[in-house]
Amino acid sequence: MSNKYLFLNSGFPRAPFGLGIGRYVCQLQRITLKFCKNRGGSRGIRGFIEHDLVNYARENPGVVVYVKPRRHRQPVIVAEYLNGDNQWMEVANYSREDVVKWMELLRTQFHNGPSLRWRKLWHTEFPSIQGPWTPFTFRNPMLNLVQLPNKEFGAAVKLGPTATEQLVELFKAQQLADKAVNDSCQNVEETSVHVQRT
Amino acid sequence: MNVLRSCVKTIILSNGVRSVNHEGPRYIKRWVAPTQKILTKLKKSLGEQPEPKRNTFLEWNRSAEIYAFNERLSESFNTEKLEQAFTHKSYLIQEEQRQKEMEIETPVLAIQDNAELIRKGEKLTSEIVQTYLVQVLPEASEDIIISLHDYLLSEEILAKAAFHIGTKDIILTEAIAQKTLADTFLALVAALAESVDVNHTANFVRDFLIVILAEKDLTEVWNPAHPVELLNDVLRKQNRSPAEPRLIAQAGKNTLEVAYNVALYCDKEFLGSGFGQTIQEAKNTAAMNVLSRIFGLLDSNKPIKFNKTINLSS
Repeated sequence: MSNKYLFLNSGFPRAPFGLGIGRYVCQLQRITLKFCKNRGGSRGIRGFIEHDLVNYARENPGVVVYVKPRRHRQPVIVAEYLNGDNQWMEVANYSREDVVKWMELLRTQFHNGPSLRWRKLWHTEFPSIQGPWTPFTFRNPMLNLVQLPNKEFGAAVKLGPTATEQLVELFKAQQLADKAVNDSCQNVEETSVHVQRT
Repeated sequence: MNVLRSCVKTIILSNGVRSVNHEGPRYIKRWVAPTQKILTKLKKSLGEQPEPKRNTFLEWNRSAEIYAFNERLSESFNTEKLEQAFTHKSYLIQEEQRQKEMEIETPVLAIQDNAELIRKGEKLTSEIVQTYLVQVLPEASEDIIISLHDYLLSEEILAKAAFHIGTKDIILTEAIAQKTLADTFLALVAALAESVDVNHTANFVRDFLIVILAEKDLTEVWNPAHPVELLNDVLRKQNRSPAEPRLIAQAGKNTLEVAYNVALYCDKEFLGSGFGQTIQEAKNTAAMNVLSRIFGLLDSNKPIKFNKTINLSS
């Protein structure tokens, strides 16, 4: 992230004032095209004004379009939105096709898009319909029917073998091992006796 | 192949496919920083400047704006009524003053102000909101309907609604304030009722005002101070005994993370439960839980519908 974004406003995607719940309202309220009549940089926007602007205005009667020629200045598009945002963009040396695409983008977005950094790509006003978590939220339903005091539920929570139990285990294992060694010794003695007899 | 190659070469040379990406110097000129500093200093010395008014700009066409306002909302306002709804009394007074200063003896203004429309609109909006809420919240008590109604008709919400349909720049007034915006919304409602009819206006109010409830927690708006007493009143009306609170669980007593779980019973029947850091708080939460279950305002209830139409007979 470069320095340019350090002071950028950040936020979550929100629909402006119930848009889409009631009826759809185009959020672009007016758009101003500023251009120069004889500079080369304004060629694309002049092409747009000549060929596409009338159709654009006819298709979007809710958008007020202003055209402002000014001598020897860079061509600029200023879009104003219902939530009070303004988007200013310079369109010098843009081709007519580019201007068409940018005009479409300005019409379909609901605010000054580049001026907001998304913190997340989703947001909800109702994070939970279960309510906040409490220690009793996912309690065992068996507890509802049990007669208290109860030995089973009242017992301390057992997580693993205790030290005593571990010692007993070790002792038993040792005893088994000793027994096995003794048995093998006896076998060896018996065979030697057998050899001497023969 | 060689011929083709030479052909391509000649075409390229004759047309001149040269790099058009001319780049300027890759540094900022030495004079930029000092100039900017001086400009900023001058700006600061001027102090806070008033926000420029959009309707005083060169690129401003009022009739086009009014037309677009109508089209944007896909409404059918009568243009004269719309003009009247946007004209506040303060603007007319200001205009008269201006004409007197220009030594016009009898100032004549061909437009009317919207005082009458505001009065009518307030009454109508209130009626529409109330009827609509009663229809979509059939189980809710009168108390809830009134508090939601008051919330929707508060100056702040009305101003927000008016702002988001794009009235701010079109209003004719001396100075724009929250009250002006709120009044304009009411005037618009009355103007629409006079242009079309009341039932059509109800749809307008639903789509641009009542819709704010969709992203609002309703128990945040309707928040009784003593929910337990309120619950007892409700139960008394149903000829049932008052609610009996019982502590059903507690955890972490004498710690920072203490939690009590209080349930409310009525005639040995479980009504609902709630949590809190103190027993009183848990009791209130439980009562709120029971009340919102009775009135259909729980988080898990179906959300309010915003596609109903209402019939107002007038």
